[in-house]
Amino acid sequence: MITTAQTITIGNVLRADIRGFVVASRIPEPEVPTFGTFVSAPIQQGHAAVIGLVYNISLQDDPFLRNLAVTVTPGDPRSEEIIKDQRENRVIPVEIAVASVGYRLNETSAYVYGFPPQPPMVLNSITVCDEDTIRKITASPDFLRTLLDNRDVPADELIPAALLRAADLHPEDRHGFLLSAGRYLARYLGRDPVRLERILTRIDQD
Amino acid sequence: MLHIERIREDIISLGHHAAQDRQARRKALALAQIWLDEAVEADQLRVHLAPLLDARHAAAGPWHGAIPCSPGKIDHHRPTEDVPLVDLVLIGVDGSQIYPDRHALAVYYLLQVGALTFRYDGNTPTVHTREWLRYDEADLYDDQGYLIDGETLSMERMVKEMEVLADLVEQERRSAASPIFALSDGPLLWPYLERGTRTSTHFSTYLGALHNVQKAGGIPVGYVDRPGGQPLLDLLWASRLAPEELTTRIEENPLKTLSDDELMLKVLAPGAWTPWYTRATATNRRHAEDGQEIWFCYANLGTQHGPAIARIEVPSWAAIQDAAITALQAALRHQGSVLNGYPYVLARAHEEALVTTQDKTTLEQAIQRELFSVGILAQPSNKARQKLLLGRK
Repeated sequence: MITTAQTITIGNVLRADIRGFVVASRIPEPEVPTFGTFVSAPIQQGHAAVIGLVYNISLQDDPFLRNLAVTVTPGDPRSEEIIKDQRENRVIPVEIAVASVGYRLNETSAYVYGFPPQPPMVLNSITVCDEDTIRKITASPDFLRTLLDNRDVPADELIPAALLRAADLHPEDRHGFLLSAGRYLARYLGRDPVRLERILTRIDQD
Repeated sequence: MLHIERIREDIISLGHHAAQDRQARRKALALAQIWLDEAVEADQLRVHLAPLLDARHAAAGPWHGAIPCSPGKIDHHRPTEDVPLVDLVLIGVDGSQIYPDRHALAVYYLLQVGALTFRYDGNTPTVHTREWLRYDEADLYDDQGYLIDGETLSMERMVKEMEVLADLVEQERRSAASPIFALSDGPLLWPYLERGTRTSTHFSTYLGALHNVQKAGGIPVGYVDRPGGQPLLDLLWASRLAPEELTTRIEENPLKTLSDDELMLKVLAPGAWTPWYTRATATNRRHAEDGQEIWFCYANLGTQHGPAIARIEVPSWAAIQDAAITALQAALRHQGSVLNGYPYVLARAHEEALVTTQDKTTLEQAIQRELFSVGILAQPSNKARQKLLLGRK
């Protein structure tokens, strides 16, 4: 993982369509982004950027791990250093799946909610969004729209995770931010009260 | 394309040959076990071997058989003691390389050494890698102007591995008072014949690095997985010869179809180590002149159902440190127990050192870009490009 003052690069695009993309990464476990992380990928020769949410992280195995899986015992002091080495040092192949929520056409333009005009190209670098970008993209609850319509992602888990993450960046009006998002969800899911309740309950559990 | 039908008879013959060979090996193995059981004490054996060693030293070159170093009978096995694995450090090292290729877009070679420092203290092991990119003509070509061969590169790699070990032991010594074992994947005894100044220079540098490991308070250990060779079988044959036959019949060993590890698979229990031996080779004499004579033993790091025979090599000054060797034996047993008998630190060092095909592609792209930026359009030879195309079939 390459860290600068502004960006954290997590890997490169492996495959993509306008609804989302999958990033291949070989980073140690502590640095793997978490479920609901906002990430950004360049599109249209780098002039524009698509913003998405991490909705799945899969760790690949390898022959080394398959061997160790049957010989080391978590909790056994004789396995302690080996387990730490595997988790913290080894570059375990990770695939990170991202769902698109919006995009912007250039550095200064406003965010557009919905699918981007193009998917990111393969091998483009993906970065974790900084706080300012997250504040801007979540300024309107419309960023939830593509997630609510996307049946390929665990939206009912992802939406609360994203909202709670974004709410922490609005400390002056955290409650107001969540209330506004709740109202949006109530309007959008008016015909599906069971689903609405499921999402709101998860937000309320925080 | 291979026309299998044209060599069908040869394949059948190969099968028959293998069956006959197996039969002969079984008989030889049974004989070797009897000879090992009947072998006399190490002290008597050394006296017995003296004329052979003297004669060989003076005339036909050194005898390469095993010379017992430990007291007692040579079939004595030392089991792993159940000592606590605390306050000791194991540093594993391995290397890999990209060979120079005159068909590549630029003539260069790369060495990469990977290492893992494994401290038995509950903390995360530390990973280290170092790499060397060589492109200077003096490095690439030998005295006759030929591109250096694989053996020369392997020599430099062995030197670099030991230098990295010496550096890491020195770093580790600053914070650890415990035994530090510097483990390399391969023999500790320099395996190359001295031919020319380049070999001689590498050998001297290697001995210097070995000495630096010792100076920094580390114990160098060579780990040879599935060892070939038959020094112990040569010793058993020598033990059966009358003193007057030693110089005349030494080459007639009826066990020469076998290797030592085949005998060890039969006789060495899991966790057990054999006594120490040494060899009177020319390189080991040079090691000895520098105070780094190499002793070796065989060890079984596997289990009852999956034995794993290895040759362990250490300098003589380390082999006589009983407490340290007991700790090493316990540590290697633990290391092997998680990875089918192969030490974990070496497996990880190998992983860190490995230059993959993808790494090589990335490196060559970077070299090509760099050359392009200075106005050189570099491309692989037509032959290399054609091979690449055929390889994609």
